[in-house]
Amino acid sequence: MTSLLVAEWRRMIIDLVRYPLETMSMMVVMLAVFAGMFFGAHYLTAAPIGGTTLSGVVIGYAVWSLVMNATGFMGYSIQNETQNGTLEQVMLAPWRTVQIFLVRGVMDILEMLIPVLLVLVGLVALTGAQFNWRPMALLPVIMIIVTAWGIGLMMAALALLFKRMTQMQLMIQFALLFIIMAPITALHGVTGAALGVLAPLTVQVGVLHAAVGVTVPSVSAGMWWEAVADMALWFGVGYWLLTSADGLARRRGIVGHY
Amino acid sequence: MLMADGLVKRFQSRTNVITAVDGIAIAVAAGEVLAFLGPNGAGKTTTIKMVAGLVRPDQGRVTISNIDVTGRPALAAAHLGAVLEGSRNLYWRLTCLENLIYWGTLRRLTPRAARTRAVELLRLVGLEDRQHNTVQTLSRGMQQKLALCQALMHRPKLLLLDEPTLGLDFASSETIKTTVRDLARDGVAILLTTHQMDVAQQLSDRLAIIRSGKLVLSGTTTAILTQYSKPMWRITTASPLPTDRIAAVRALGWQVEQPSAEAILVTPREDDADGIYQLLDVLRPEPIRLVERHRADLAEVFQQVVEEGANAQ
Repeated sequence: MTSLLVAEWRRMIIDLVRYPLETMSMMVVMLAVFAGMFFGAHYLTAAPIGGTTLSGVVIGYAVWSLVMNATGFMGYSIQNETQNGTLEQVMLAPWRTVQIFLVRGVMDILEMLIPVLLVLVGLVALTGAQFNWRPMALLPVIMIIVTAWGIGLMMAALALLFKRMTQMQLMIQFALLFIIMAPITALHGVTGAALGVLAPLTVQVGVLHAAVGVTVPSVSAGMWWEAVADMALWFGVGYWLLTSADGLARRRGIVGHY
Repeated sequence: MLMADGLVKRFQSRTNVITAVDGIAIAVAAGEVLAFLGPNGAGKTTTIKMVAGLVRPDQGRVTISNIDVTGRPALAAAHLGAVLEGSRNLYWRLTCLENLIYWGTLRRLTPRAARTRAVELLRLVGLEDRQHNTVQTLSRGMQQKLALCQALMHRPKLLLLDEPTLGLDFASSETIKTTVRDLARDGVAILLTTHQMDVAQQLSDRLAIIRSGKLVLSGTTTAILTQYSKPMWRITTASPLPTDRIAAVRALGWQVEQPSAEAILVTPREDDADGIYQLLDVLRPEPIRLVERHRADLAEVFQQVVEEGANAQ
């Protein structure tokens, strides 16, 4: 697995360095969005922004961006490789298809995390705002990303079978936005509990909010377990679906084309 | 090295089922070049992709170094390199060196070993001065040479070459052919598909021709060319042959065709090796420049095999 990680890491770094304008533009856009959110929130609430408020706004946006990338990148990568004609060559590598695209998904998140962290540091330095971050919040962030990778693997499975699925990807992202925004975790009774566990990302987002102090002050053990179960479910299903789609594409002879 | 037996692949279209490959069996030993030929749509690419594991056969089995390609694809892939036709095989935004290091590392080489191997291969195909150029700036011939290097990074035991010299200029084509010969000499098994019959004839040790998904001819290249050669002689003279000489040849019982004034194609009634001396006596003292026994080339063989099939259908 190390050589696969190294190969994709090197490719990512080359891409970042080879096209500095693209990298810089991404960071400028990100900085503009964060700054807009920060000053916008300040203007709307007419209250000093910092601590938990800043954490809520900024982490919310950063996590949302990470989720969008984690869900979309693997499918995009397959589409891109198909259009470029390199997908078959990639699938001739001595790795499972799911391993290759998962590693690419990991690299994409790293590629995004580096500028996000730089922009966050820049923003805090620029505004002098306090940033309320607890190391404990890292766990739900990781769980959110892993869950999103599960959905990303499902999108990759569809991309492997149907090749073009940009519109479908947008639809799924809107659905995700709804799921995350809807107060599913606040629902009571069996339905609420079931939806909380089954719907992707809601539990993890709830845990994150609690962990950074946006909502409840602490996270219960039950919430942690729910979050882990939900993550395992979505990631497992995604992994299984891409593995199955790989076999189906090879049986149908549509690996390199639709 | 490569054993493919009883391969069958059917594709379902909206209205019917198409059998693309129907019971193909091929084998390529270490150090051998097998030219796998057939007209468009015969099933060559599907077969190659089944060998590579990119298409799963409905029936039959492929093994590379005794490793089942369907059962253990990752392990089999470690012994396989491929230059696929119609596939770009490379990342255009990366340089030659970066591409080779990427593909080498992806195939389990360490970055250091990949770099060393990449430089070695770039030197082999004459691209060492282009190692820092991105692929998109290379000519078609250079890209194809680089694609070959990419396939060789991990020193595969089996190399699949789908149309490796298509669209290349003479020099690039010669480089590819020389590299293929050297690889075979080093023990690499090579499965080659091409529509360029001269390339197939020059490189192959054995031939397999398929038509409509079925294997219709296979054997060593030498034996097949001999089998399809006619017991015919071509005699070329420095000046046009007089009609009385041609009549005298016919009188010996030879069939005569005259493709040009200075050449005749003569066929004895029976394949009689000594008959040629009688014939030469009859032609004396005409200024003979060349006497050659007909030897079929692969283009003739291919055309004949494909036409036989078309007539049979």
